[in-house]
This record gives sequence, structure tokens and C-alpha cells, in this order.
Amino acid sequence: MAETQKLWRASRTRLVCGVLLLAAFVALVPLQRGIDGMVSARMRVEELLYRPSGRYSHRLCLGHEGLIANIYWTRVVQYFGRKRLDQSARYDLLGPLLQITTELDPHLVIAYRFGAIFLAEKAPSGAGQPEEALQLLRRGIVANPDYWRLWQDLGFIYYWDLKDYPSAARVFQAGSKQPGAQIWMRVLAATVAAEGGAIASSRLLWSEIYRQAENEQIRKSAEDHLLALQVQEEFGQLNLVLKQFEQRAGRRAHSFRELVVAGVLVALPRDPTGVPYVVGSDGRAALGPGSRIDLRLLQ
Amino acid sequence: MRRVATIAWHTFKESVRERVLYNLVVFALLLIGAAILFGSISVGIEHVIIINLGLSSISVFGLLMAIFIGIGLVWKEIDRRTIFSLLAKPVRRYELIIGKYLGLMLTLLINTSIMTAGFYAALAYEKRTLEVADLVALQAVYFILLQLGMVVALALLFSCVSTPILSAVFTFSLYIIGNLLSDIRWFGQETGSALVMNFTAVVYYLLPNFSNFNVISQIAHGQAVPSYLLVSNSLYALLYITILLAAAVLIFEEREFR
Repeated sequence: MAETQKLWRASRTRLVCGVLLLAAFVALVPLQRGIDGMVSARMRVEELLYRPSGRYSHRLCLGHEGLIANIYWTRVVQYFGRKRLDQSARYDLLGPLLQITTELDPHLVIAYRFGAIFLAEKAPSGAGQPEEALQLLRRGIVANPDYWRLWQDLGFIYYWDLKDYPSAARVFQAGSKQPGAQIWMRVLAATVAAEGGAIASSRLLWSEIYRQAENEQIRKSAEDHLLALQVQEEFGQLNLVLKQFEQRAGRRAHSFRELVVAGVLVALPRDPTGVPYVVGSDGRAALGPGSRIDLRLLQ
Repeated sequence: MRRVATIAWHTFKESVRERVLYNLVVFALLLIGAAILFGSISVGIEHVIIINLGLSSISVFGLLMAIFIGIGLVWKEIDRRTIFSLLAKPVRRYELIIGKYLGLMLTLLINTSIMTAGFYAALAYEKRTLEVADLVALQAVYFILLQLGMVVALALLFSCVSTPILSAVFTFSLYIIGNLLSDIRWFGQETGSALVMNFTAVVYYLLPNFSNFNVISQIAHGQAVPSYLLVSNSLYALLYITILLAAAVLIFEEREFR
């Protein structure tokens, strides 16, 4: 009797397990279909395969692609830093490394923003590849349509590195229409469209970058550019004064001290870092020795 | 139910005695802490790296714990012949399987909680504060636990039929395959052959789809997991765990011990 009961109990367990197993498998198929339908928009497998670089490796990261992208981004930073220290003119791996990084994690916005700067800056400060920078930013905009600052960066590359002011104005205008875009983007678009590469538009652009900087390096770079722009503006005024002196005295001034003695200037003019300006061999205003202003930034 | 709880409690006590467990937890905590240093040699990803490295550490080390302890759950009882004294007691075989499973899950839950606390400590250190928005990472931790639940069930199933080494190989292989199922299905579709296409479709639905739970990267950018996905994935994990445990019970019921 006990044996029969035991057997019956065992077969009942088997039956329950068998039914559970089958029922759960049957329920899995529609559920997986439902999940596929929900996530298909953000994971299009067919677009990821047979592609070299990050899109392919994405599948092999077993869900840790964000971490691998962070490691690649760190490699980008280290690679760029080392090349820059070496004053290298070749940054061959920069583009591919950035591509892998952003394909592994298309939402790593910092990689588009900084990557574009690294790519666009002229050698030896950067790779001198502004076209590559534009492509990187365009990919970033497609992957992050709600992030309006990528439009700002795109316009910046057109403005600063390619000196293509009509395109820059168009991009700033398009960016100003993105959700969350700040009002100054529209002002910038109008200023660039009207004045092109005038100092006023450059100052507006760099002032906004300085004001909005989320990172100390970007803030420092914007500050350096603003100081260089200020010096460029002051050069214009000082050269005018030097020209007037030359016309009046019939000779070129050799130093600004002469202008102070002649009463044309009330004091020796100094650059924003406090170093006195000098008169160059061409008779035009120049930076004094020891000045920390880098006018190459404006080239 | 009480018998299942007793087995689970004893399994938990037994697994916390494993030295490898402590090594893995310490190593995971070290790695989470290292994320702070890692962030300092990069630019602009200080938080993101802590979230990515922290959650990946929890996931990888949890996986290692699940596999290395799970594969020995039943095998050890058979190997040490303690299974005879266990089955001589008024314990049904399915109760043993479910109790073992729940015991290991309790161990993993506690270890994951410790690692999560370490992760939040690293995040708080880096950010100098914690905000409500940071709690979104708990969704990823929950998905990791669901994944671990499936891995433990897989390891337990193999533990009923094979040696620990083979069980580890099978479980780990299925984990990798389970992350690449979408690709396998796509390969099948690419061949154009109806036979291969149907075969890969069957494989796609039959094997555990671990890629459903991969949300770490999304969470690192502060994007919460939609609630429908939370519900669907919970249901999926529950169904799959039921399948695996039912299969384990079926095998264990049929097994003869000599």
C-alpha cells in the first residue's frame, strides 16, 4: 500500500513537472516575440553584422559593451595625449578608435564632443581632420537626436576649423530648433550669418562655450581663445595708434614708451595677462616676451 | 514547504562556507573601487565608468559564483554519498532540488546586495552625493539577479546529470550562446534555407535568451528600463527557471543512486 502510494506520488510529480515544462515553453514563444517587438527599434541585429569595428564587437561583449566603450574612450584619451605630447603630426588611429568607441556605445556623448575637437584641431595640437570630425558629430546627432549641443559642436567645426560661415550659420539655426536648445544658438546663427568670421561672432561663440563648459579643459580652452581674441582686437586699435603716430612724426615708433612720452598713450599698453605689448620689426603691435597668450589658436 | 525552507537554509549555510565566494566578493569590490581610479585617467566619463564597471563586476562575479557553486549543488551530495541519508529522510526529490535552488539564490541575493552597496559607496564617493535618479541602477541589478536565477537553474540542471567540470562548461557555453541568440537566428535567415531558418528559429526560442537582460549601458546613461520590459523580463525569467527546475526534477526523479 505504502509502495503504491509512493509510486503514485512520484508519477504525479513527473506529470506536474512535464506539464509545467511544456506549458512554460509554449508561453515562452509569444513572450519572446513580445520582447523582440519592444526592443527591435533599439537593436537592429541585421544592421550590426558583417561590419568591422565596434558594431560587430558590440555583439561579442555579452552585455558589457558600455564598459568596453569606456575602455576604448580611455584609449582615445591616452592615445591623443601621448601623440600631442610627442608633437606628432600623425593621428592615424584616432578616427578608428573613436568609431569603435561610439559604435560600442552610441550614447557616449563625451566621445563625440571631445573626439570632434581632437580630430578637428590642427596638427600638432590635433589630427587636423575636420571632415572626419563632422562625420563623427553627424553620427552622434543621429544616435542622440535630443542632444542639441552636438549641433553647437557641428556648427563650431564649420565656423572655426573650416571657416565655412554659411554652413555654420545653417547648423546653428538648425540646432536652435532642437528641443531644449538655448536661445543664444539663434543669436549665434544670426550673428554668424550676418558677420561671418568677425571677432564679435567669434567672441560670442567662445563666451557661450566658456559659460556652458561642463569640463575644466574645455573652459580653459575657451578662456585661452577669448584672451587671444581680446589681444587681436587690441592689436587693431594699437596698430591704428601706431599708424597715426607714423603719419604725424614721419617715422615708425620703435616702442610704445615713445607713444607714452609723446602723450599719445597715457600708459604702457599690456595684454590680458599683464605683459606689456611691444612694437614688432614690421612696426606693428606684438606680444611682449613672456606673454602667455597663444595667438596660434586663432589661425 | 518547511522542508524546502530547511534545505534552502542548509544550502545557504553550506555555500557561505565556500572560500571562493569571499574571494570573488572582495575582488568585485576592489574592481568597483578601481573604477574611481580608472575614471581619473579618462575624460568626462567619471560617473559612467563607475556605473559600467560596477554593474559589470556585479554581473560577472555573480555569474562566476552562480556557476561555481551551482554545478556542485547536487553533484557533491552524490559524490560524498550524503544523498542516501538525505533521501532516506522524509524529503521528496523535488523538494531537494527546489530547496537547493532557493538556498543558492539566497546566497547570491546577499552577495549581490553587498556588491551593490559597494557600488553605491563608490558612486557616492565620486559624486560626493547620491540622488534619487541614481536608484535607476537598481533596475540593472534586478535584471542581473534574474539572469543569475536562470544561470543557477541551468547549473543545477547540469549538476543532476554531469560532473562539475562538464556542468561548468555547459552552463558557461549556454550563457554565451544565450547572449548571441539574435545573431544565430539572423544567420539562419541569411542562409535562405527554410530548414536552417526553422532550426535557428527553434534554437532561438528554446535556449535561454540572456541578452534580454543586458541594460547596463542604457542605465549608465541614466535611461530607465521601461516598465513593460521589467514585467516581460521578470515573466520570461520566471518561466525559464520553471522549465529548468522542472527538467532538473524530472531527471532527478528518474535517477538511480548506487
